[in-house]
Amino acid sequence: MQIHYNFAFFDEGSKREIRRATLKAIAIPGYQVPFASREMPIARGWGTGGLQLTLSLIGKDDVLKVIDQGSDESVNAVNIKKLVMKTAGIKTTEETQEATIIQSRHRIPEIPLTEGQILVLQVPLPEPLRDYEPSEYNTKRLHAEKEYSGAWLMLFEQIMKYGHMASDFDHPVMVENRYVMAPSPIPRFDNPKMHYSKALILLGAGREKKIYAVPPYTKVVSLAFDDYPFEVESFEDKHCRLCGATGVYLDELFNEETGETYYQCNDTSYCLSRLNEQSESRGVQHG
Amino acid sequence: MKLDFIHDIQRAYRKVVDSMSRPGLITNLKDEAAKVDLEAGCFPSTLVLAAMLLDTEVTFKVVSEKEEETTRWINQLTYAKADAAERADFVFVLYDKAEDELGQILRRVKTGSLIDPHDSATIIVEADAVTDGCDFKLTGSGIEEANYVNVSVNGNWMEVRQQQNAEFPMGVDLIFVDKNHHLLCLPRTTQILSEGRKL
Repeated sequence: MQIHYNFAFFDEGSKREIRRATLKAIAIPGYQVPFASREMPIARGWGTGGLQLTLSLIGKDDVLKVIDQGSDESVNAVNIKKLVMKTAGIKTTEETQEATIIQSRHRIPEIPLTEGQILVLQVPLPEPLRDYEPSEYNTKRLHAEKEYSGAWLMLFEQIMKYGHMASDFDHPVMVENRYVMAPSPIPRFDNPKMHYSKALILLGAGREKKIYAVPPYTKVVSLAFDDYPFEVESFEDKHCRLCGATGVYLDELFNEETGETYYQCNDTSYCLSRLNEQSESRGVQHG
Repeated sequence: MKLDFIHDIQRAYRKVVDSMSRPGLITNLKDEAAKVDLEAGCFPSTLVLAAMLLDTEVTFKVVSEKEEETTRWINQLTYAKADAAERADFVFVLYDKAEDELGQILRRVKTGSLIDPHDSATIIVEADAVTDGCDFKLTGSGIEEANYVNVSVNGNWMEVRQQQNAEFPMGVDLIFVDKNHHLLCLPRTTQILSEGRKL
């Protein structure tokens, strides 16, 4: 049976509702706008929020890149890409610079984003205050009153317990001095990339039915104390074993047979483009 | 109507996203507006915005001498219901408005609550002209340093807007369109400086 889907899967009514929520989210940076999250052909919690944003944005001229924890080729990324390709017939890419829309799970690409791009982040838990306040009504009230002592206390307790802030990912940020926001489970390494980003960042939580946004050139500050400043993961003295990159987010890999620990770029397309450049320049030298 | 309700609306939406996320960036709905062949008493670009944003889930209000006629057209096009300015989700302030009508209507529209700031009105205003210029200096979220624009709309709407947006995150978001289909957005985060006065 041949099924003819709508352009970009959704009916126009669904797109309209998501678009209205998105525009409100852009107008109120960091505020979680509720929306009627649709049933999708992938399970909730597998990027449906990001996917719904992407489908509401995408047009025939767009070039889409989808990454999952830095990889263009993981199952989740490939399936989302296939769904959008099949229903919208658009071009996809692995090159960060080529893409107009980048949907990502858990990473912001290494190559700085530009003004014409939109970054869509998939969010499992959009509420940064949920750890200590289970009631949605109460967290909404806390946001309304800008009552964030609980968020600070969480970080304080981490320092008491571990001697440092122990949030390895999803470290809460303050947006435009108003809203404490979950930046999605990106590593701390990526938090500073949100500050004054050139690209629009949209965040979608399908299961939790929330859309929020960080417009370009918006102040995004990671929560920290004067005597315990925010620090990103350090990869000092380490480099990618494939392309030799330093100053990027690296995955730590362990070879059980040799007992060797080595590091590799987490952003696979960045690593691959560097490898290609290196082999091209070697070719020029040999040629 | 020649307007493609899927692809043209998508293209127009992306322009609105661009202008909303970068206040002061003037985009143009010329291509989409050219396909609107409906005389509804408003600019064609206003109808494009109505088709993009309105449906049965939201309400709207038209402020115009031809309010009845335009309301009927928008209702037929989108199935959205008209409501009072105090309750409407979208308020269309049309070209033939009285001199200070925008200021008056801004006083009446909903600005949301601290708990639900998204439950506020979006105002779509038809202006004489929206151009790059130096009358208004815009700063705030979405703007690198400052953007400069001219908006030809009379009255004290900027003072009223400032009052309505005083308690962020509550406030109203404005979308301006002009005869030449230029589009400018002033979300509630944008600060306007006019001739040295902060508004």
